[in-house]
Amino acid sequence: MLFALFRRSLARHRALIVAVAALLSAFQILDIVVAYNLQANGIYAQFATLVPAFIQEAMGGVLVGSFPGAIALGFAHPLVMLSLSCVAIYLASEPAGEVEDGLVDLVVARPVPRFLIVARSTLVYLVGSAAVVAAMFVTSRITVRALSPATLTALPAVRLAWVAANLLAIVWCFGAAALAMAAHVRERMRAAGTVGLVAIFLYLLQFGATAWNPLRPSARVSPFHYYEPMRTLLGTVSPAKDVVGLLAASAALIVLACVLYEKRDL
Amino acid sequence: MADAVRTESLTKYFGAVVALESLNLSVAAGEVYGFLGPNGAGKTTTIRILLDLVRATSGRALIDGLDCRAASVEIRRRVGYLPAEMPLYREMTGVGYLDFLAALESRPADLSFRRKLLTRFDVSDIDLRRRLDRLSHGMKRKFGIIQALMGRPSLLILDEPTSGLDPLMIEAFAETVHELKSEGRTTIFLSSHVLSEVERLCDRVGIIRRGQLVRETSIADLRRDTPRRLRVFFDRPAPPLPAALAGAVRRSGGRHWELEWSGPLGSALDAMQGLAVADIEIEPFKLEDYVLQIYSGTAGARD
Repeated sequence: MLFALFRRSLARHRALIVAVAALLSAFQILDIVVAYNLQANGIYAQFATLVPAFIQEAMGGVLVGSFPGAIALGFAHPLVMLSLSCVAIYLASEPAGEVEDGLVDLVVARPVPRFLIVARSTLVYLVGSAAVVAAMFVTSRITVRALSPATLTALPAVRLAWVAANLLAIVWCFGAAALAMAAHVRERMRAAGTVGLVAIFLYLLQFGATAWNPLRPSARVSPFHYYEPMRTLLGTVSPAKDVVGLLAASAALIVLACVLYEKRDL
Repeated sequence: MADAVRTESLTKYFGAVVALESLNLSVAAGEVYGFLGPNGAGKTTTIRILLDLVRATSGRALIDGLDCRAASVEIRRRVGYLPAEMPLYREMTGVGYLDFLAALESRPADLSFRRKLLTRFDVSDIDLRRRLDRLSHGMKRKFGIIQALMGRPSLLILDEPTSGLDPLMIEAFAETVHELKSEGRTTIFLSSHVLSEVERLCDRVGIIRRGQLVRETSIADLRRDTPRRLRVFFDRPAPPLPAALAGAVRRSGGRHWELEWSGPLGSALDAMQGLAVADIEIEPFKLEDYVLQIYSGTAGARD
């Protein structure tokens, strides 16, 4: 039963997932090709003097003006993070969409326990966003392998995998928030739009906190606060604790979604 | 034996809006029950509470003696449901749609029965392979009826089942209901605005208005109790009314009487014996007339 629901939902969203995976994979290629040219033309050497210190800091510090830094940027660019978050948010908001267009009458009128609807949407947003990140990861590795300057020490795949995992944990967090919202409201755009705006706000909050100290305490509520791709790639921090924390927050929100969906009128 | 459907003081508020107020109704197993009411009367809310899609504010609903809230999944195993507004996965084909819904059932699909339904409702293999958003309203409705029936449920809940169907398909639907009725294993809870269809198919009706059941009765009782209009014509000036008919007269004069007669017609005809009656017009019983009176609040609530 869960498999049938999952397959149906995935089929409905397949085009979106494939399109975003293709776009963000293309972004990886573009990013690495540009980095390769910058490296070849010696631009990175001038980078530290061209980019203001606080922006370098906001982007992760020492690595930003380097070829590995450019690889990390493929996973830390605001466009990438917010696009991925939007995909997860949209996928997770399906329960509200089903209430809105009446499909729930067809599905839940059958012997389908309500929690399966939440479980289905959880699986779809987890798998959908993971597929996009996996495509980005594989594309990045292949492009780096093809273009990496010979003089550069190879970047360990494990570190890039941690960056990808950390990014995925953030995205899942927003997906879980959208799921909880969709378990409560009747319109998909209300659930997806609200959580999408919150994601943008939380990104800006974290970005602002890197430049303005008074914002730092409040930035702890932003999932983006728990993401340091440059330092992770450099191997100076391990994101394991952040990933676990973000996953725990996601799990709590999914449980909340189950409770809300169980209690609601459909 | 428990009623197939029973509601006890079922009440539902949507905020300040009262959708249902202390609704008590019962449907016996094997019965075809017509659930009638004007738009916004609470029919769909009642149906959605039975399916546990909406939760009652108070009271309870039971199917086969099981509480619709507490034994929700078990109840939905027994029910086939056709919503009034047919929700569709637009990008799916007809066959994909039926396969998907069959996969959500707890029993394996009976493909030969499904094939029989497809034939009866004139759904071709080409229709099955077409995307649902490219089908006509009537064809979508046929898929709706088939998906509700294909699991051979013991309770069928049908909300406006024939809306958008052509006369041939309405006939096919009626034939299906008669078949299910004669098998005696299926209870049918049918909400419809097509009163001729209700009159033809249902054993009993419940009429709901502003969330309250105003009448629950059998069609046979309604036929018996509902006054019939008779026009009696004479070739010469109408004679004085016999005493037995005096209470029934609506108009008399000239060469005819107009009577509204309750009860068996035989006694009215007996009272006219010996009179020079040229012709009698008897208006057939129409559920519509009665229901319209109830909807407009001019008929008294009984039973």
